[in-house]
Amino acid sequence: MKVSHKWLKNYIDLEAEPEEVKEKLTMLGLEVESVEYLGEKYKNFYVGEVLEVMKHPNADKLTVCKVNVGKDTLQIICGAPNVAVGQKVPVALVGAVIPRNQHDPEGKPFVLTRAKIRGVESYGMICSEYELALGDDKEGIMVLEPDAIVGQPLAEYFGLDDVVYDVSITPNRPDCLSHIGIARELAVAFGLKLKKPEVKLAESSKKVFEFASVEIIDTVNCPRYAARVVLNVKVEPSPKWLQNYLKSVGLRPINNIVDITNFVLYEVGHPLHAFDYDKLAGHKIVVKCAEEGEVFITLDGKARTLRRDTLMICDAEKPVAIAGVMGGLNSEITERTRNVLIESAYFNPISIRRTSKYLGLSTDASYRFERGADPNAVIWAVNRAAQLMAEIAGGEVLEGVIDVYPIKIEPKIINLRFSRLNSIIGIEIPKGEVIKILEGLELEILKLDENGLTVKVPTFRPDLEREIDLIEEVARVYGYDKIPDKMSSIVHFSTDKIKTDFHELIRERLIGAGFKEVVTNSMLDEDRARIFGDNFVKVLNPLSREMSALRTSLIPSALDVVRHNFGYGIKNLKFFEIGKVFRVSFDEDEKPKFVDNYIEEERLLILMTGLAEPISYDVKERNFDIYDLKGEVEKLFRAVFLENYQFIYYSNNSEISEFELGVEIGGKYAGRLMKVSEALLKKFDLEADVYIAEIDFDLIRENSKIEERHYSEIPKFPSVYRDLAFVIDESVSVGDVEKAIRESAGDVLKSIRLFDIYRGEKIGEGKKSVAFSLEILSPEKTLTDEEVNSLIQKVVKYVEQKLDAKLRSY
Amino acid sequence: MINQIEEVKAKFLEELQTLKDEKELEEFRVKYLGRRGIIQSLFDKLKEIPREEKPTVGKILNELKELAQEKFNEKKKEIEAKKEKVKISLDLTIPGRFKYTGRKHPLTQTLEEIKKIFVSMGFEVASGPEIEDDYHNFEALNIPPEHPARDMQDTFFIKENIILRTHTSPVQIRVMKSKQPPVRIIAPGRVYRNEAISARSYCLFHQVEGLYVDEGVSFAELKGTLLAFAKQMFGSSVKLRFRPSFFPFTEPSAEVDVSCFICGGKGCKVCKYGGWLEILGCGMVDPNVFKFVGYDSERYTGYAFGMGVERIAMLKYGIDDIRLFYENDFRFLEQF
Ligand SMILES: [Zn+2]
Repeated sequence: MKVSHKWLKNYIDLEAEPEEVKEKLTMLGLEVESVEYLGEKYKNFYVGEVLEVMKHPNADKLTVCKVNVGKDTLQIICGAPNVAVGQKVPVALVGAVIPRNQHDPEGKPFVLTRAKIRGVESYGMICSEYELALGDDKEGIMVLEPDAIVGQPLAEYFGLDDVVYDVSITPNRPDCLSHIGIARELAVAFGLKLKKPEVKLAESSKKVFEFASVEIIDTVNCPRYAARVVLNVKVEPSPKWLQNYLKSVGLRPINNIVDITNFVLYEVGHPLHAFDYDKLAGHKIVVKCAEEGEVFITLDGKARTLRRDTLMICDAEKPVAIAGVMGGLNSEITERTRNVLIESAYFNPISIRRTSKYLGLSTDASYRFERGADPNAVIWAVNRAAQLMAEIAGGEVLEGVIDVYPIKIEPKIINLRFSRLNSIIGIEIPKGEVIKILEGLELEILKLDENGLTVKVPTFRPDLEREIDLIEEVARVYGYDKIPDKMSSIVHFSTDKIKTDFHELIRERLIGAGFKEVVTNSMLDEDRARIFGDNFVKVLNPLSREMSALRTSLIPSALDVVRHNFGYGIKNLKFFEIGKVFRVSFDEDEKPKFVDNYIEEERLLILMTGLAEPISYDVKERNFDIYDLKGEVEKLFRAVFLENYQFIYYSNNSEISEFELGVEIGGKYAGRLMKVSEALLKKFDLEADVYIAEIDFDLIRENSKIEERHYSEIPKFPSVYRDLAFVIDESVSVGDVEKAIRESAGDVLKSIRLFDIYRGEKIGEGKKSVAFSLEILSPEKTLTDEEVNSLIQKVVKYVEQKLDAKLRSY
Repeated sequence: MINQIEEVKAKFLEELQTLKDEKELEEFRVKYLGRRGIIQSLFDKLKEIPREEKPTVGKILNELKELAQEKFNEKKKEIEAKKEKVKISLDLTIPGRFKYTGRKHPLTQTLEEIKKIFVSMGFEVASGPEIEDDYHNFEALNIPPEHPARDMQDTFFIKENIILRTHTSPVQIRVMKSKQPPVRIIAPGRVYRNEAISARSYCLFHQVEGLYVDEGVSFAELKGTLLAFAKQMFGSSVKLRFRPSFFPFTEPSAEVDVSCFICGGKGCKVCKYGGWLEILGCGMVDPNVFKFVGYDSERYTGYAFGMGVERIAMLKYGIDDIRLFYENDFRFLEQF
């Protein structure tokens, strides 16, 4: 909310500089986001009076003027046709920054200097509206009111000698949405006295009850409705002081009647509405809910469709305003309005909020009502407005206020225990200080003893309901900076066994292996989500179509990362992400951990594309392939002591992969490794060989034996190595051979490593040679040559028979 | 004697072949050709043999000496030549063999730092879902339906009462519902806000939530704990400023600024010449929240805090556009 420094001064003797006020407000919890010095741009501008106008000796269109600017009389050359003796004019002195240059096509500002124009000195400038950035008129100089005071700073003349704070008011403080509210806070902080304006009304002898009546049908949503009638007002523009106040807080002056209601709104925080009394059928106000689907035209000329729960202000025949939100066009104040009915009511915050949300219409009034206006401010506010209408618009205020208040809203009574206050804050705050703070905030102390006190809370503070609310008030005004920094003397240790940070472990391993970590958006285009299944979660109110679903796979966002980097010529990519995926599940057996029907799982994605190794002097250039990926995955598994995994080799591929292999961990499907299909790449405008592994993170973690590492005796005897090569049919896989070797060699086979694959003439078409190195080790003894040889013979025989293989060499 | 000479000759030639460098060469020379070497010792033995054999044996012995010297010189040249060759081919300016370098994402790095500090103070790490229900995200945190405080966080809806969590605070509720005090946790995680994407805001970001509930926990202790955190995170000379604020689930509440660690509080572009940087929100857990989770608010008090990981990473590394974190440009990632 915008708060005017000048306006505040009506209620407190504020002597502090704006910077100090800013600091104070901020430290009270009323954060000042900016401070605007309105007069800043009219520094060095004054009101002047033209004393003399003479023709310029060397130029037809120019005149030489003598202008009194108070302290001095200056000679100024002027080019305007309308300059005349006796005029009060805005004068810029040498050094002033002219907001807009009339001779510059873009109207850029410039600094005024002393100038010699065609041989005659000029010591200032008489400005046009355009030059002052107050309007578009470039034709002549701006002429001020005849009663303008010569020598007055121009900012002051325009009412711009003010400083405006933009204060961010938290939703719990509706009382601070007004100048009196802010002044009250500053009064407490600076130790000043708050001076609420006294309302003195000269009422006529006509009784208001004979002119109007009010009936509340919906007393739940409208606990109080007060009204006054002011007759014979003259609707016209407001006086300058009123216009200036409204402009300083960002409001547009409309006419004196409407401006007065806005002024009172910004003064005390209570929204008012002025109806054209003569347009109210039966001169009656009825508060009730609308008919479902009813259409109503608001002040802004828009047709609004109402609901059954929309609270309306009606006259005897029709609705005339949406309660607490906006008035209707049909009862608007116009220049022809003669008589006014002023509404000052208190509406249920929830009802107003619901209506404002539903209509998508937030106004100054609804903003305050939905946060909680003061039900007991209605009379003061309506009187204040009536008083101003009498003073400014010459109205006749009828005797009495119509005040329908069926269920009284009483001030709350709250107890505060000093012991509780001190234990929450952590230090003892002197009782005298506590009392001073609470009284400063206009809380009435009903009872006081050594243990605590009892206060009555004014109804403008709906946020104060409980003891803790009072504790906050005391702490806030006392000053958070005066509360010491304590560290508990008792050291708290967790009693749970410390576990490896598994995420960190995986990250460190992959980073060590040359992968960069990425973090991507979990929202994506529905169509892209659908590629990975229909069980994705939709967002009802997405920011855009590109973010209308939650990801069920990390693959799409990873391909976005590829595309982004390709766009900048970065073609060799090796990265990973650990992230959540989401899906809907109605499966009875699958129990979501947190929220019914929604499953969240963490996944690990590894992606590789481009050159397998950076270009170097003795490295053969080679692109990543599936075996690089498979190797990285297995290396990672080994690093985290994951043993119970196996690959599943599919014969068929899927829509998204050119080929792929699955991974099972602990007997459960955990994910897959793949070469991304051209069709999928096309959807991301990519042309490259991209290899991706996506694996369930929880399965890796749950099956890792890292917490169960245990020493087992290292072998006492050396291993024996033997190489074996078999010639086999193309159709036989390396895995088949490996499996056969393992089956036949038994426990003494410690490890097996493929070291060559050969195809060529020597072997024959449709054949390949695969060579393995076998590590043989017995835990019991050093194996003799004979024992090893006989084992090898057994293996060879088995493999040859099982796979129709031929031994190639020893 | 002659046999002995032949034996020495054979051994000499055999051993000569095995020599590899200058050191071995010198040892070999001393052994055979030195003044007390094997060949000299043979000359010494010449005195002991019969006179008539002396000329023959002497001749053979001299031949051996000559041959030995000649062969030795040849070998010496060969070894020296080899050494010369090595000198020419060794170029240590050739770059080392490089592999791709891995990098941890700056958000992860920042998060891990925050986590480590609090874990060292005895906080445990907890987590909760990103798809949350209204109850945990709002209601149990003292934000009833129709409350204006709901406007503080623009929400993505999945369906009625199911949303994408707007903060990590619902984890507080889940943890407190599952155990009795003392509770001392941090909950890092991803949160979502339905806000237009710009350099300053993204539709999602990461938070770290903190919660400590026990007997006798006070606002003063909250201040002390966060100051200790800030000193470890930003440097031991930083100060904190606690400003009163409003969060429905804490009371009293505060927003916390750290003295600008870039300019030292004097004022610069990053702190917008104010000397302070807003880093987190905190406060004492509201008794209403305790009511929701079934804690006795007369017996227990507690504090809670929440901070944005992106915000802290941006300040720490001088990053001026939040979108960079999610673009994953390798030239960006390479810098951390
Ligand atoms: Zn700074």
